[in-house]
Amino acid sequence: MPIARRQVLRGLGAGGLGVGMALLAGCGDRTGGPTILRWWSPQATPEQVASYREQIRAFESRNPNVRIVFEPTSDEGYPTQFAAAFAAGQMPDLVTHLPSFAAQNYYDRGLIEPMDDVVAAIGADSFFPGALAPFRAADGHYCAIGIGSTAVDMLWYRQDLLQLAGIGAAPRTWDELRAACAKVQRRGLYGTALPYGMNSMTSLIFISIIHQAGGQLFTPELDVAIDSPPTYAALDFYRSMREFCPPGATIFSWGECLTAFVSGASATGIYSGRVLANVAAQNPRIADVIGCVAYPTLSRAIPPWTFNDFPSLFIPKGARNPALAKAFAISLFSPDIYPTQLRATPGHILPTLKGIVDDPVYLADPLVAKYQREIAMMAKLAANGHNLGMESPAHLPNLRAGEIIASNCIAELVQRVVLEGENPRLAVGQAASRLERLMSA
Amino acid sequence: MAALLRLRPATSPQALARRDALLGLLLIAPTVLILSAVIAYPLATTAYLSLHNVYTPTLATEWAGLSNYRAILSGGTFWHALATTLVWTIGTLALQLLFGVAMALLLNRNIRLRALARSLVLFPYFLATVVAVLVWRWLLNGLFGVVDHALIALGLIDTPVDWLGTMPNAMATTIVIGAWKFFPFVVIAVLARLQTVPAHLYEAARLDGAGSWARFTDITLPHLSGVLGLVALLRMIWDFREFDLIYLLTGGGPLDHTRTLPLVVYQQAFGLNQMGMAAAYAVLMMLLVLAMTIPYLARARGRR
Repeated sequence: MPIARRQVLRGLGAGGLGVGMALLAGCGDRTGGPTILRWWSPQATPEQVASYREQIRAFESRNPNVRIVFEPTSDEGYPTQFAAAFAAGQMPDLVTHLPSFAAQNYYDRGLIEPMDDVVAAIGADSFFPGALAPFRAADGHYCAIGIGSTAVDMLWYRQDLLQLAGIGAAPRTWDELRAACAKVQRRGLYGTALPYGMNSMTSLIFISIIHQAGGQLFTPELDVAIDSPPTYAALDFYRSMREFCPPGATIFSWGECLTAFVSGASATGIYSGRVLANVAAQNPRIADVIGCVAYPTLSRAIPPWTFNDFPSLFIPKGARNPALAKAFAISLFSPDIYPTQLRATPGHILPTLKGIVDDPVYLADPLVAKYQREIAMMAKLAANGHNLGMESPAHLPNLRAGEIIASNCIAELVQRVVLEGENPRLAVGQAASRLERLMSA
Repeated sequence: MAALLRLRPATSPQALARRDALLGLLLIAPTVLILSAVIAYPLATTAYLSLHNVYTPTLATEWAGLSNYRAILSGGTFWHALATTLVWTIGTLALQLLFGVAMALLLNRNIRLRALARSLVLFPYFLATVVAVLVWRWLLNGLFGVVDHALIALGLIDTPVDWLGTMPNAMATTIVIGAWKFFPFVVIAVLARLQTVPAHLYEAARLDGAGSWARFTDITLPHLSGVLGLVALLRMIWDFREFDLIYLLTGGGPLDHTRTLPLVVYQQAFGLNQMGMAAAYAVLMMLLVLAMTIPYLARARGRR
């Protein structure tokens, strides 16, 4: 019996629909499987990821029906990744190591959960005084918790090279730093490695430099205050340091600045305590001749201003299982687990919980033991540190800080003046206008 | 099954025609639905977003009318980015065509290891952009890069060159790397066409005393003109929209000297969280790409 074309097509269509339904039904059958929690962090060196796996294993062994998947993000890319994830409703269950101002901004927009119950479970008294202050939102709730503390802009130097150049002490002022760089620089060795790229590091470091000249970007009431003499002094200093940096510093960001110092290509550098682990792993021959101090200031009368991004821990509102995510968050601060992540990069992520600095397990780490003086100094400076989210204790939280950094308007100011040779007054004026627009957007 | 396959009794011609029309609609429906889902819906959404102020993370919208377009067209960012996009597009396209045709001519000859060379030449095109950019950034790294070390060793330069951080180096380097990455597409298309050019034309020209340049301009080039036109148009559209290579290589810097329109869209949408403004940029970009597509469509229709 012949078969009509239409009937065959109808049959194929019905068959295809059936197969599709069956497939869809199969995809939907997920009962009985483990609950999956997704954890995002921009801090994801192999050592850190190994420590996270240890923390995850400990939690999973106590909660056999939970599987935690770690997914790395990046310091440069997180604003875009998070904006896209929030927009798509594809947020992870737990986020760590984003700066405090990012958490404040997301909380203000109603995108993340208050963390008061987590703070209460850990015990607010367990934290160093002030460690939770950057996370106190305008409504009085905690928008996040400080998972660590970082002194991001330490001046790292090579004692051997400075001594060879007849410099007895680490520079404390910009003039001393410039003079030191001029003395040590020679063919194949740069005086320092500062970022001049169009990226977040240039913006964040230059904000520190403005403060180290006694200036600020905003008044405590968050009016734009960048157009001031300290900003011009900072630009002048930054421009004068260009000749002591590698030519490629025009695109330098975190990785390149770190590598320049660790590899021995520059005699000084600007970075956090991550230098310690990287020197130990990549260039141990300089391990005994490195030191760090607070980044120099315009004059000795100006106290150091240390940039601390106050790495946070928060839970997005779209988390599929906030209760489990909070349980995992609490576990990360337990005394047997917390030191694990600190030991992954000694001196880089500093403790926010009391008692850890004296913990024998923490102190037993070879790098912590070797660089005890430097780590103690960084901890002290970080504890008194600031960032654009709150430039001083008197400042209101700046909820636009993340967007200001992502806009690159501060990095652009640096490039206009240093690379393009533009009139600083015009460039600062433009930066001030952009800041005003960003604040009012 | 037998019931399913049984022929229906004969019906009137009108009923049959109606059933045919219905079946036609039924058959075309999936295509229409899929096209609507993947083309019409995103387009309509983009146009809708462009008329609103939209905060990206929450997608909270507020009617803005044409103010996004007014702000874009009256500000300098769009025009500067458009000029930068054109410089990039024209520069890299010209090099792609030049390298692509030269390489295709070479690979069309009877050279040794031709099969291997034909495979290897495709390598940059198939390499993931992120990998290609990382490799190039390391090659051009001022501290450890092999390019600067080689140039210094040869005595051509004294200090490393800032390939990506100053102008015009940054744009020139980006254009050259873009050409390296995408010229194999031109090679594939041109080589395929070259293999269809009758060999007797070259023999006749040789007998007439035509030199290699004359044979190229009088025989090869006319045969290639059709495929070159289409390849140039396609590549121009793709280069105009290129994002990842430029973003990963320079991030749009120094300053905004390599910030092309796709980078502006990305920064507006996810850096500044202004999805509405980004959508307005995207709509204007789409119109420009459409303008480039018209000659391609006209040409394709003319050849039919």
